[in-house]
Amino acid sequence: MNVESVYPKVREIIADVLVIDEDEVSLNSRLIADLGAESIDFLDLVFQLEKEFAIKIPRGQLEKNARGDLAEDQFEKGGVLTVDGMKALKNYLSEIPADQFKANMKVNEIPMLFTVETFCKLIVAAVSEKNARDTVV
Amino acid sequence: MRFLLVDRILELSPLQLVRGIKHITRDDHYLCNDEQGTLCFIPSFIGEAIGQLAAWNVMLCNDFRLRPVAGVVSSACLHRPAYIGDTLLIEAVIDDVDDVAVRYHGVASVGDEVVFSIESALGPLLPMTEFIAIDEVRRQFSEINRPGAWPPVASAGELLQNGNEPLPYLLVFDRIIASDPGVSLCAEKRINRAASYFPDHFPHKPVLPMTVLLECKLNLAREFLARAQFSQHYQVSELRKIKMNEFIYPGDLVVTTVQVKRHDADELILSFRSEVEGKRVCVLDVVMTAKGN
Repeated sequence: MNVESVYPKVREIIADVLVIDEDEVSLNSRLIADLGAESIDFLDLVFQLEKEFAIKIPRGQLEKNARGDLAEDQFEKGGVLTVDGMKALKNYLSEIPADQFKANMKVNEIPMLFTVETFCKLIVAAVSEKNARDTVV
Repeated sequence: MRFLLVDRILELSPLQLVRGIKHITRDDHYLCNDEQGTLCFIPSFIGEAIGQLAAWNVMLCNDFRLRPVAGVVSSACLHRPAYIGDTLLIEAVIDDVDDVAVRYHGVASVGDEVVFSIESALGPLLPMTEFIAIDEVRRQFSEINRPGAWPPVASAGELLQNGNEPLPYLLVFDRIIASDPGVSLCAEKRINRAASYFPDHFPHKPVLPMTVLLECKLNLAREFLARAQFSQHYQVSELRKIKMNEFIYPGDLVVTTVQVKRHDADELILSFRSEVEGKRVCVLDVVMTAKGN
């Protein structure tokens, strides 16, 4: 499973959740800025993705994935990303053009960056983690 | 008139299950006519009662710090109306909850017969004090939390008819602003602060209950059918993919567009989109099945 293989289904679900035509959704569409997603849409989207791919996506998982090995206070201070935090975020969201990471970005602004590809990557990671767990069990 | 629709909580397992009842009597304010003209409880408000019951469970378990609000409902099925003399046995099952949202499903029955069911409802949790004082909501809970057994399936005896039936409460759009019969319909509703549900929904922040908008849309679906003059007769069976994006406030002007999403001899699906100042606030599909199927 990879981004290309999950993309058609993710695209279909995003279009359905946002009540837009699939034609309007591309891999690099930003959910908030380009597709008009709001907070309730993210809740809905995560639930639909969990159902479709039989996975669990804990709340804030994308931010946790971005943080990687950094402790919380290494990642952000007072709600603003640290230099190391920004580096980790850029590294994790490698699909996002560099000019979209603004200086002194706040943690609650991170979702502004999310694209369709971000969610495809999240699905691929969650499915592979689940498969790994199932294999161990 | 109160917009607290659960009369009594009979059983509550924290973050798992809650059961309660609502008697439908002539004391009810929120009655309408069914297709035969018989008074019944406003169908969307059966769904509201299920949602309120689920909310009591969640609010109790977070010590009334957070309250669920309407968000997304995958499917709500209207099996039959509930009439004066019926007692709704309501059950809500909490499927998942955290500090951000609750997911639940539920059902309302009269005796052994399911009259309304909700699949997969998702409600964001917001700070209680934005909506109502914590002491006030605690008091409301303690008033109705009286554990006990389910009531008997049906009361014996004939329902008294005194000739003075309550008046139906109309939940409708104010005017049609565009109509292409059988294709689309556009209607508007001005949200009036004087509406009877606002004092309870909510004291600190009056917002339009989603179920009020849903009932208006069901009535708009009937208006659409009346204008379409299809050869087949349809009846509402399900509300699907309901999503409330934004609160609607008194003073707002809600513009709703209805379009045919699918139409064949067995089924008609109407797609609804409501906007305030051009911004999407609520969408849903109304599924209608051909009568006799």
